[in-house]
Amino acid sequence: MRMKLGVLAIGLALSCLAVPVFAHHSWTAEYDSKKPVTVKGVVTKVEWTNPHTHFYIDSKDASGKVTSWNFEMASTPALERGGWSRKTLPVGTQVTVEGFGGRTVNERAIVTSFKGPDGKEFFVPKLGN
Amino acid sequence: MKRIFVAAITVIGLTAPFLARPHAQDLPRRLGGENGPRKAADVVKPVPKLADGTVDLSGIWTGGGDAPIPRLLKKGELDTLLLPWAKQKMASLKESDDPYFYCMPGGPLRITGGFAWRLVQAPTEHATHIFMLQEGNAHSFRQIFMDGRKHPEDPSPTWYGHSIGHWEGPTLVVDTIGLNDKFWLDSAGTPHTEKLHLIERYTRTDYNTLRRVVTIDDPGTFTKPFDVTFTAKLGTPDSEILEYFCIENNQWGERTNKDPLATPPH
Repeated sequence: MRMKLGVLAIGLALSCLAVPVFAHHSWTAEYDSKKPVTVKGVVTKVEWTNPHTHFYIDSKDASGKVTSWNFEMASTPALERGGWSRKTLPVGTQVTVEGFGGRTVNERAIVTSFKGPDGKEFFVPKLGN
Repeated sequence: MKRIFVAAITVIGLTAPFLARPHAQDLPRRLGGENGPRKAADVVKPVPKLADGTVDLSGIWTGGGDAPIPRLLKKGELDTLLLPWAKQKMASLKESDDPYFYCMPGGPLRITGGFAWRLVQAPTEHATHIFMLQEGNAHSFRQIFMDGRKHPEDPSPTWYGHSIGHWEGPTLVVDTIGLNDKFWLDSAGTPHTEKLHLIERYTRTDYNTLRRVVTIDDPGTFTKPFDVTFTAKLGTPDSEILEYFCIENNQWGERTNKDPLATPPH
C-alpha cells in the first residue's frame, strides 16, 4: 500500500511539472531546469519573431554591473492568441522575469513567468509537446 | 519510502506556482498545447456533407500527425519492425539533430503537428485538389491530387512527395510516394528511406474529430507495413491560421553553443 502511495505521489508530482515546452522544440535540450533565474530589469529590445519571440532585458545588480539577458518566449501565433502584441511590454518597461538559464550560455534563458512594472502577471503559454 | 513521498510532495510544492497562473484558467482551452486555435465546443452535430455526396473535411484542425510513432505502437513493437540498420540509426540520433529544429519541412505526417492547419477542398465540391495549409514549422502546404491522375513513374523525391486521393465512402484515402529521406517521420527520429509509401485514411468520426489512420510501408526500413492512428481536433469557426516563418529568427543551438549552428547537421 505504502509502495503504491509513493508511486502515486511521484506520478502526481511529475504530472505537476508544468514547465514550458515550446512546440518548435523540446525546451530541455537547450535550457537547464537546475538553473532557475529571476531577473528584474528593463526591456531593451523586443523581437516579435518566429519560431519564437525574444525579449532582451538589462538587469543591474547592487554594484551597478549590468547584465544583458536574451529571454525566449513562445511563437507570435501563441502569444497573439494569448492576448499579447508586440506592444504589450515595449522597450523601456520595467519587468520581472522568471525562467531557466541556457545550458551553456546562462543569459540566453527561457521565460516561465513575466510580470510588468505593477507586478501584473502576463500570460506565458505553457505548451504541450 | 517516506523520503520518496516527501520528495514528491516537495516537487509538487515547487511547481505549484507554475500551476497557479492567474491568467491560464481565464483563457479558453486551446488545441496544440495552448499554441493553437481555441478548441471547438463539443457540440453534437452531424458530420457535414457536401452536395456531391462526400464529407466536408474543410476547416481549421490541430494535431493529427505529431505524436511519436513508438508511443502509438505497443511497447517494444517498433523494435520488431525496424531493420537492423534502422534500429542502429535510431539509437544513434540526438534529439537536437532533428531537421525540424532547423526549420526544415517535417514531411507529410508532421505537417499537422503542434500548430493549426487548414484543410481546403478546391473547388469545395468535386474537388480536383485538396490542400493542407500549415501554420507552424516550414509554414508550407501539401497538395493532394483528386482528379484521378496516377503517380508519375520514378518521381524525384521531395519533402511532401506525390499524393493522390480518392473517396471510399466517408473516408478520404491518400496515397503518397516520392518522399525524400531528409526529414524525421516523427520527433522520436523514426527513420525511413525513399522507398516510403504512405496510405492515409481520413475519416471525420464526429463533427469535431478527424481520425487519420496511416499505413507506413517502407521495405528499406521496416520488416512489414504497419498502421498508426492519429487524431486531429477542430478549432472554433472563428479560428484562422496565423503567419509563422520559422526561418526568420531561429536561435536553435544558441543556448548550448557560444557559436550558433548555422546549418543543419544533415
